[in-house]
Order: sequence, then C-alpha cells, then structure tokens
Amino acid sequence: MVRYLLRRLGFAVLLVFVVASASLVLTRLAPGDFATEAFGLGANPRTVARARARYGLDEPILTQYGLWLAHAARLDFGTSLLYGRPVAQLIPQRAANTALLALAALLLATLVGLPLGVVSGSRPGPLATAIRLVSLLLLSMPPLVTSLLFVFVAARTGWFPIGGMSSLDVSGFGLVRDVLWHLTLPAVALALPVAAMFERLQSQAMAEALTQPFVLAARARGVPPGRLIWRDALRVAIRPCASVYGLVVGTLLSGSFIVEIVTAWPGLGRLMYDALRARDVYLVTGCAAAGALFLAAGSVISDLALAAADPRVRAQ
Amino acid sequence: MQPGGTLVAAIRSEPRTFNRYASRDLTTEIISRLTQDKLIRINRATDQIEPRLADRWTRSADGLEYTLHLRPGVEFSDGVPFTSADVLFSFKAVYDPKTASPLGDAMRVGGRPLQVSAPTPSTVVIRFPSPFAPGLRLLDNLPILPRHLLQKALDQGTLASAWGPATPPSQMAGLGPFVLSEYQPGQRLVFTRNPHFWGKDARGRPLPYLDRLILDIVPDQNAELLRLEAGQIDMTTDAVRPEDYRSLKQAADQGRVKLIDLGVGLNADSLWFNLNRKSKAGDPRAAWLQSEAFRRAISYAVDRRRFADTVYLGEGVPVYGPISPANHTWFWTGTPETPYDPARARALLAGLGLTDRQGNGRLEDRAGRPVRFTLLTAKGSTALERGASVIRDALAKVGVTVDVVGLDVGALVQRFTTNAYDAVYFSVYSTDTDPALQLDFWLSSGSAHLWNFGEQTPATPWEAQIDDLMRRQVAAPRLADRQALFDQVQKIFAEHLPVLQFVAPRIYVAMSTRVTNATPALQRPQLLWNPEVLAVRGSSGTR
Repeated sequence: MVRYLLRRLGFAVLLVFVVASASLVLTRLAPGDFATEAFGLGANPRTVARARARYGLDEPILTQYGLWLAHAARLDFGTSLLYGRPVAQLIPQRAANTALLALAALLLATLVGLPLGVVSGSRPGPLATAIRLVSLLLLSMPPLVTSLLFVFVAARTGWFPIGGMSSLDVSGFGLVRDVLWHLTLPAVALALPVAAMFERLQSQAMAEALTQPFVLAARARGVPPGRLIWRDALRVAIRPCASVYGLVVGTLLSGSFIVEIVTAWPGLGRLMYDALRARDVYLVTGCAAAGALFLAAGSVISDLALAAADPRVRAQ
Repeated sequence: MQPGGTLVAAIRSEPRTFNRYASRDLTTEIISRLTQDKLIRINRATDQIEPRLADRWTRSADGLEYTLHLRPGVEFSDGVPFTSADVLFSFKAVYDPKTASPLGDAMRVGGRPLQVSAPTPSTVVIRFPSPFAPGLRLLDNLPILPRHLLQKALDQGTLASAWGPATPPSQMAGLGPFVLSEYQPGQRLVFTRNPHFWGKDARGRPLPYLDRLILDIVPDQNAELLRLEAGQIDMTTDAVRPEDYRSLKQAADQGRVKLIDLGVGLNADSLWFNLNRKSKAGDPRAAWLQSEAFRRAISYAVDRRRFADTVYLGEGVPVYGPISPANHTWFWTGTPETPYDPARARALLAGLGLTDRQGNGRLEDRAGRPVRFTLLTAKGSTALERGASVIRDALAKVGVTVDVVGLDVGALVQRFTTNAYDAVYFSVYSTDTDPALQLDFWLSSGSAHLWNFGEQTPATPWEAQIDDLMRRQVAAPRLADRQALFDQVQKIFAEHLPVLQFVAPRIYVAMSTRVTNATPALQRPQLLWNPEVLAVRGSSGTR
C-alpha cells in the first residue's frame, strides 16, 4: 500500500509538472500577451515594447520556460504580472476558498446523492421514478444555470446573499456563520448535478448488487432488508461512486469556475479566469498547477476510498 | 445634503494595482479618483476644466507657459504637506522610461514631454513644447503622487511595480477624498474618508460627504444588476447594457432604483479595414478590400435604424462620422448622412468588378474569386458581437460574405499591431471630447491610427491633409478657428471613410434611490468621477 501511495504521489508530481509546463507554453504561444492586453488598442508601440521587456515577455519562449523551471525548482513560481505579487502567495488563499466550496459541494452531493441512489435502486416504484426524473433534470442543468437561478431567487427573496464570501464588519464566530451563509448558494449550485450523478450511479449499482448471489443468500438467511441494503449490498454497490470520486473533485473544480464568477466567490477559478483574460502567464501556470494538484489529490482520495470499500484493491 | 453613511458601488474586476501610473483599466482609474487628486480636473458634467490642487493659474503671452499656484494648506492623507516637489516628482515618474507608464503618451505634446519647474514650494511652471490649444486639459490625466513615499521606487526603477495589491494601506497616501482602509481580495475594497482632504462644499462643510465608500467586486454583470435591484449595492460600474434597460426601467417605475438617461453616447463602435498596403501585398482581394468604394458600399448596405434596434434594442441613434452628435463642441453638423440603400451598394460593388457571376446570390471578383473577408471583434461584448452579426447579415444581402471571428482583446490587439487582419469591429473609447487630445487617432503617425497602423508618413494625400489640418487645429488659439479646421477634417473623413460608424448608443446609468447629489457623466466612470460630492440618504447607519 505504501509503495502504491508513493507511486501515486510520483504520478501527482508528474501531472502537476506537465500541466504547469503546458499552461505556460500554451499561454505564451497564444496570440497577444499581457502587454498588448494591458495597454489595449492604440497604445504607443514603444511603451508597449518597454513594458514587454520589463515583464520578460520579449524573451524567446524556451528561455522563459527554462527560467521558470529553474525558479520553480526552488519553489518560486514567478510573480503575477497582473497583481505584482508572487504567484505562490496568491494561489493558497484562493485555493483554500475553492477547496472550501468544492468540499462543501462534495459533502452535500454525497449526503444527498448516495442515500437517494440507494433508495431509488432498492425500492422500485413511484418514489424511485420521481427521484430518477429529478436527477435527470439536475444532470441536464449546468452549474451556470443553477447558480444564475439561485442568484435570481436570492435577489427576489433576500433569503441568501447574492454573492461574495462574507459580509462587511463581521468577525469572530459571526464570521464563520456568515461565510456558511454565503457558501450555501454556490455550494448547492455546484453540488446538485454531482448529487444527481451520484444518485444515478448508486441507483444502478445498488439494483445490480441486490441481484448478487450473496445478497440472495443473506436474504434467504433472514437478514433484515434494511441491514441487507444499507450494510451488505451498499458495501459492494459503493464501488462505482468511490472510483469516480477523484474525477468528481476535478469536475467540481472546473465547475466551480463559472459558479465563482456568477456568485462572486473569491476562489481559484475566478483568479484563473482573470489571469487568462489578462494573459498573465505565470499566474495561469500557477492556477493550472494548483488545479492539477487538486485533481491528483482527488485521484488519491478516490483510490483510498476504493481500497477501503474493496478488499481486493487493498490486496493488490 | 446629509453627511455620513456608506455607499456601495460595484466594480467588475480585482484591482491590478493601486498605482494609476502602472495601469489604465477602469478599476484602477476608479481607485485613483477615490484616493488621488490632480492639479486640474475636467468636470465631466460641464466638460470644462476646474481647479483642484492648483487653485489658479496664468498663461504666458506666447501661450506656451502656464504658472500654476498650488492650493495652500493641502496635505496628503498621511499628514505630509503637499508641495510643488510632488508635482515635479509626478511628472518625472510619468515620463520615466523604466516606468513605461500608460499615462506617459497622454502627457506628451507632439511626442515631446512638458517641461516642468517649481520656482517655489507653492508654484509650478509648465511649459508646452509647442502651441497646444487644449492647454491644461492635459493635466486631467495626471494624478499627483506622494514623493515622500515613492521617490525610492522611482530611483530604483521599480515605480511601475510599487503599490501593488499586496501593499498595506498604511504604506500608501494620496490627496483624494478617500483612503483605502481595507482590501479583501476577491470581495471588496473599503475606503474611508480622508480627514486631510482639502475639499469643502459651497457651505464650507468638509468633503467628502460619505464616511465610507465600498467597492464590491462583482465579476458578473447579471449578478451586479440583481444586487442593485435587491439594494445590496448602490451603483453599477458602467453604463447599463441595452438588454438590461427594460428590467431596470420596470424597477425604476416601481421606485426601486433610479435609471438616468444621459443621452447619446460619445463613442460609436467602429469598423475599419486594414489599409496598410504592404501587409496586403500579394493578396488578390486588396484591390477591392482596400478601396473607398467598397467601404462606401458597406455604409449604404447597413441599415443603421435596424442596427440600433437589433444591437441597442432601439436605444441608439445612427451616426455617420467619427464624432458623435453628443460631442456638441466638435461635431460637424454638415456630416453627410448615408441612407440605407442596398441597390446603391450593389452598384458600387459592381463598379469594382464584384458581381454575382455564378447566380448564387454571392459576389465574385473578375477572376471568379468569392468576395469574402474576415471581421475580427472582441469576444465577450454582447454589443460588439451583435453588431458584427448585423453587419454580416447586411452584407450577405448584397452578396458579400463576412466571417466574424471573436478574439480576446489581447489577441485582437496583436493582430491589429501586426496588420494581420482584413477588418476589425471594435469599441474605441475616446478619453476626451477634444480632438486635439486624440492625435494618436488622427495623425497618420499616431499609434491609434486605426486603418493603417505603423504608418510613418501619410500614405495618401488626404491623410497628409488631415495631418496638416490637425497640426494647425491643435495650435490654433481660438475655439472657432479650431472648430472650422476640425470641420474640414471631418469632411475629408466623410469623403474617404477610413473608419465606419453606424450607431451611437444612448447611455443609461442606474443607482439606488438612496444615492443623492450624483452628477452622472457620459464618460467613464460615469458615476464615480467626482466621489467627494456623492451622498446617501438615511446615512446615520452603515450598510
């Protein structure tokens, strides 16, 4: 298991390196750069050229990449052209906000999606049909639409804040409560399609598990239906969901991109969006690397969850 | 006017910097207007200059030299007295090549910097390198920086990176009505009143009226409007989008918001072709793509009324030249109007040898090649994207195929500056109503000479004529003479149509009903250009 984890860790490092390198190279290769974006149309070419030289954008792409690599090896990921701050300072704060949003959404999706999947997969009938229909509806609604809808409802009702992460002039325990209040809408918007996906996966897996010989045998031995479903069958049926958990983390991060913009949540997605628009090559690279790190961490969590659910995986 | 209270405005993006000398984006401009001040400011409501840090001035007989007397007793927000040394420092900073300030070019006349001296701590002498009729209007571009805080950065050549977003508010100071007291990244900036601000109202009460002004960062414009309607913010960043007008009108009718019609805007989106001969050498389309008749045909082919209805949902007026009718001082009333006349457009195209040879409704040139070009526009702007679609559809009706390509602004600028394009449809904002402050557009050597970027000398006799007229216009001392010269420029422009305009939108701004004393203006930032006089009703509490 330790060797396995080390292997996964090595893979994570490789993933982050490849994603970061590709982001830097692609951002540089795309037409335009930070200076053209910052100065806009009609700027004096000499002024733009001076700015380009100051930002090191006049260097050949290989030189810039080499310099970035040399600095990255010392954990210096460059200075954001947009904000004039080290990328390593900008990312953690925003990544923490995104992680909070993604974890809240993941928790919500798990707590809602899995039980509903178990119910709809084990008890065919009108309730299961209703759950399935709602899930299909939610699956077809991207987080953009859901978050816009929620923001609209919040504006009309005043039940929730329309955006942001905290109110002004709040501190201490009040701040925690305030952040949770602000977190509700973006987390729900992000969680709903994932909950629907969990429900669908879990429902099918549960329906299949209930036809397994060991379940039939347990039922024949008189094991109560509740225990049979929630303990014995669920242990087997959880595997499909556990195996996609890592991918879901990636989905949540990419989905949070648009939710963060609509709900003004100050996360990594919004930072990356701003960086991309401004062609801030180092910040884009840093954000992409952080995203890859999230994905790799999600993948490891997924593997661990699968190992916990399936003894055969642990034995490998 | 009741002093006190908190006003919440929205901004669309994070501050890139708190240093106006390092960035030209709208957020930085707003922050600069809150925290810094200028020697002279253009009153956006009257379009006239008004005294700020300089309370009076005199002009030399030759009109080249101005002596400005600084307002006595002015202090920076940290209590350090403001003197002419700060003015000298600011000029030095803006012209410093290491700073590469986007303000640097706007502070030059004929490409040359102003000469500034400070005979006394309260006097500044500014000498223009050549006659310049707008005179001190130029100073509206220059916020004054504190020498005592930034001298070291300038000496080290790091001024452009000074006052980044990570700078603690206590390390910055300004002469503006507010000081930054807190920045919550991704969420908001909190400004509190500057106790050292020099301004007083007509009754002698200290300005600003507000205790706090908060800029909430709301990246999504839909969410911004919902927040305004819900009373969570008091004003929006920018003018109301055409598609939001109806819902805001409804909210205004219900008394939930104030919707103010500022009239026809100063800027119309522009379409221009790449007229650079060298870049189109070898392109068989150049003969018609760069011809005046082709541009005139397009002008006839586009129904400007329909354009206004489709793109601006009826909230716009047709325009036929580079100066909007809203610019009363400089608009040439004789600007010829081009009616919607597709038949005439087809005739003009036929005159270029562009006819429908295959009978498929699409034109071909004499060699049978399709009449087709690519129109670049900025991705993400609904008005530009809709406008480009209207142009494409209008030209399709006369047989011209247009491929509309949306690009990020950076990519679009890169294509423009390398002359790697056929045509561009884009919003070009003028920073001042006076054409003498837009020489980079008018002069053939200018960096915003849209239709032939990088041209060093006039490529055509009519461009040489415009260059000559504009140079005379800039130097002419009398307004009437300047207007007459500029009328001639617009006449030449109308004859050759290097840039086409179709519609100038009406400008609306929206704010909450609790905001009082706002004097919205056509130019950005429409509502925050004079933040010191803004006030709110029911200001005893805070939001």
